[in-house]
Amino acid sequence: MQTLTMTRFLTALLVWTLMAPGSGGRGRGTAWPTHTACRNEGLEVLYQSCDPLQDFGFSVDQCSKQLKPNLRIRLGIILREDIRELYLDISLISKGTSVLHYSYPICEADLPKFSFCGKKKGEQVYYAGPVNNPGFEIFKGEYQILLELYNEKRATVACANATVICS
Amino acid sequence: MTPSQVLAGTLLPAMAFLACVRPESWEPCVEVVPNITYDCMEQNLYKIPSSIPSSAKHLDLSFNPLMFLGSQSFTSFPELEVLDLSRCEIQKIEDDAYWGLHYLSTLILTGNPIKNLAPGAFSGLLSLQKLVAVEINLSSLENFPIGHLKTLKELNVAHNLVRSFKLPEYFSHLNNLEYLDLSNNKIQNIYHKDLHVLYNNSKLSLDLSLNPIDFIQPGAFDKMRLQGLTLRSNFDNTSVMKTCIQGLAGLEVNQLVLGEFKNERYVEEFDKSALQGLCTLTIEEFRLSYLDDFPKNINGLFNCLVNVSAVSLAHVYSRRLEGLPKDLKWQSLELVKCKVNQFPAFSIPSLKRYSFTANRGVNSFTDLTLKNLEFLDLSGNGMSFKGCCSVKDLETPNLKYLNLSFNDVISMSSNFMGLELLERLEFQHSTLKQTSQFSMFLSLSRLLYLDISYTHTHVAFHGIFSGLFSLQVLKMPGNSFKDNTLSNIFMEVTNLTLLDISECQLEHVSQGVFDKLLRLRVLNMSNNHFLLLDALSFKPLHTLQNLDCSSNRIASSNGQDLQHFPSNLTTLNLTQNPFDCSCEHQSFLQWIKDQRHLLVEAERLECAMPPDMQGKMLLSFRNATCQIPKVIIIVTVVSVLVVSVIACLVYKFYFHLMLLAGCKKYGQGENTYDAFVIYSSQDEDWVRNELVKNLEEGVPPFKLCLHYRDFIPGVAIAANIIQEGFHKSRKVIVVVSQHFIESRWCIFEYEIAQTWQFLSSRAGIIFIVLQKLEKSLLRQQVELYRLLSRNTYLEWEDHGLGRHIFWRRLRKALMDGKSWNPEEQQMQKTARKKQPL
Repeated sequence: MQTLTMTRFLTALLVWTLMAPGSGGRGRGTAWPTHTACRNEGLEVLYQSCDPLQDFGFSVDQCSKQLKPNLRIRLGIILREDIRELYLDISLISKGTSVLHYSYPICEADLPKFSFCGKKKGEQVYYAGPVNNPGFEIFKGEYQILLELYNEKRATVACANATVICS
Repeated sequence: MTPSQVLAGTLLPAMAFLACVRPESWEPCVEVVPNITYDCMEQNLYKIPSSIPSSAKHLDLSFNPLMFLGSQSFTSFPELEVLDLSRCEIQKIEDDAYWGLHYLSTLILTGNPIKNLAPGAFSGLLSLQKLVAVEINLSSLENFPIGHLKTLKELNVAHNLVRSFKLPEYFSHLNNLEYLDLSNNKIQNIYHKDLHVLYNNSKLSLDLSLNPIDFIQPGAFDKMRLQGLTLRSNFDNTSVMKTCIQGLAGLEVNQLVLGEFKNERYVEEFDKSALQGLCTLTIEEFRLSYLDDFPKNINGLFNCLVNVSAVSLAHVYSRRLEGLPKDLKWQSLELVKCKVNQFPAFSIPSLKRYSFTANRGVNSFTDLTLKNLEFLDLSGNGMSFKGCCSVKDLETPNLKYLNLSFNDVISMSSNFMGLELLERLEFQHSTLKQTSQFSMFLSLSRLLYLDISYTHTHVAFHGIFSGLFSLQVLKMPGNSFKDNTLSNIFMEVTNLTLLDISECQLEHVSQGVFDKLLRLRVLNMSNNHFLLLDALSFKPLHTLQNLDCSSNRIASSNGQDLQHFPSNLTTLNLTQNPFDCSCEHQSFLQWIKDQRHLLVEAERLECAMPPDMQGKMLLSFRNATCQIPKVIIIVTVVSVLVVSVIACLVYKFYFHLMLLAGCKKYGQGENTYDAFVIYSSQDEDWVRNELVKNLEEGVPPFKLCLHYRDFIPGVAIAANIIQEGFHKSRKVIVVVSQHFIESRWCIFEYEIAQTWQFLSSRAGIIFIVLQKLEKSLLRQQVELYRLLSRNTYLEWEDHGLGRHIFWRRLRKALMDGKSWNPEEQQMQKTARKKQPL
């Protein structure tokens, strides 16, 4: 029952973020609201868009302290840029400084791996599928993670400040 | 309420209302290139802004709620070439909406929920080449009014709701169409009649990926020629795939792309027989991208691709790539991001190009035999190479291009014997070992391009680049040099036009390093540790056009050498250097200012020294600031000189000055003599030759009372002593010597002098000790002995400095109480001259 309400909530969230693309506006200076990507016993993942242009919907299907490999995620976004090429930067932030930094190419121009590669500005992308992550146990604490997707022109496609709270 | 308040009360809301309804000006838009490019993305515009200049060529109106496009919406922008209307919530486009846009070449309509597209919506677009109509709720191509767009080259209608692949008749008019993207639609069936309009167009590339294709009617593509056909993630299972591929029979296609996407539907239990249908196709290039369930054994998989000239496999996860057909005619093979356990050392005699890049799982390279191979790219695999390189490791005698970048350790064991045809060689980011033991590139006299950047190469051997007579480009950033000095390693690479030695921790350049590089055009020395811009070393580089010395520690340059700087330079980068903007480098700073037309970001050059200039812009340095200190220095030096000269003069002419000033007034003018001299007749020589000479003839002149000269004859000696000596003299000089003590007269005179001093209470006795006295003798004269031990006396020293000091002291002592009257002086002088000795 609880999972059902959770899924409904997530779906509603995704629909809301996708249906309200123009509600933002450049240079308004207002921060986007904080969303919950997943919440389970002992683990909570919150995120906030750090792209001034838009908010987006994101959720993680499983949520446990013992992180499983190849997690399934859902991501919905309306592109503000073409993504012929797409790169992901992940930074683990501790006390304001980046402790771990990881960069990964997601879309390459030639024979891309994912079907959303090559999508156009203004097009809607909805990805529901696994991510290529290793499994590990999350230790107690609060972590700040900065995620940024950008294209070949180094223009931000999506950006999120995530907080992982493990208790 | 006063009338003015009423007026304000009505006007203010009216103005506020007017401000609200005022049509949007172009101000919220961003002017990217003045009069050409305007970006109005997501500005909440309800209308097309009318105040953007009519000269605009690029207009981005995306993410604005325009809702609909009326007739002739863009007539105010007749020059427009690119128009972006992505996600403008456009539901209706009226006839002639783009009327007047004769030069529009790109129209983007992505993400608009178009419900009503008038038949003449695109009329007037005479030059349109690219139409992006992605995700516009398009359900059929039949009703898409683009038949008249004869200039169209690219039509992108991906991500729509098109169910029928029946290409309407108007496609036969689109003779320039090169690319048709129908991916991510709802096409399930492809029939024979669907494509017949394309028979005349052999330039077309067709993308049908992500359509749920169930059925392709056999013969649908028969006798058709296409430039490209892409079918990725189209089939639900192997049997559908097999029958659909069979349906492609008779197609002649330049490039065929099959495969899947990782996140879309995929074929489970892929069967090798699925590709059997390809035997009936004529394919030039075959590409397979991501098959989730790729067979572990590829035996027979490529049986129908024997005659293909190029094959690419990307994201194909097969442990072993063995069992290829024997008689392959492949000329090019590409394996990208595949997971394989062993380096696939295929033996395909026809192969000319082989790329094996970014594959994971292979640890080491094994020997390769490909006699016709000209191009070999093995980059990004993290492989190690036990030996590199000779025809033994690479049996590829025709190789012209070799790329071993982004691998693990490469041991340089031979000097490319048998690979003399190489023209291009890349090793970047691999670790090169044994680079200092021999000239590893000795055989490569045809090599034009060499990249050994970030290879951990430590250059300690002068012959490292021996043999590279044709080399034009040498890139070696991120390495190191012995003693951090750029040594003479470029003696044989005389054809070099580009040299990159950035990030090499270099501090010095040896003399004559660039002497042979007479064709060099680009030199990158950035990110090193150079302290000086050594203009002299660049002297031989007459053809140099581009010099980068940014991010060094350059504070200055030798101002005189700057005249040797290459004169053909077009760009010079000196950014990120800690310049010393003090006046000693004035000529260098002036030179930089003179060269500002060459400099990259000249306005951002900063001073780091001296502290008061820190952080200031180098170009703000003014020569005038240096002139003030110069003046100060000159004035200081001159004044010090003047003062010291004056001091010397004052010292030298102290007594003359005293005379001139006449400052020492003393009332007792009645004294005839300045001093009465008591001495033993034995010391008369000294008195005559030294004392009299110096005191009476020097400046100021003193008059002495001497018994042999001034005592009046016929008067008793004692009376003379008192009358002439003591009475008329201000001072008494006692010349103490051995003879003095022995002489009774002298002692007598001295005792009188003492009594006289006591009576007249004047301190007037000056002792001159002429020679060292025996103490025992001196003790006999108890009084004298006590006096000498208590009082200061003058001691005669017969050498230069001693004499000088002696006379100054004596003069000073005598001056005490002397009256200075120039006239009297003059009188005294004349009097003395007349006085016979």
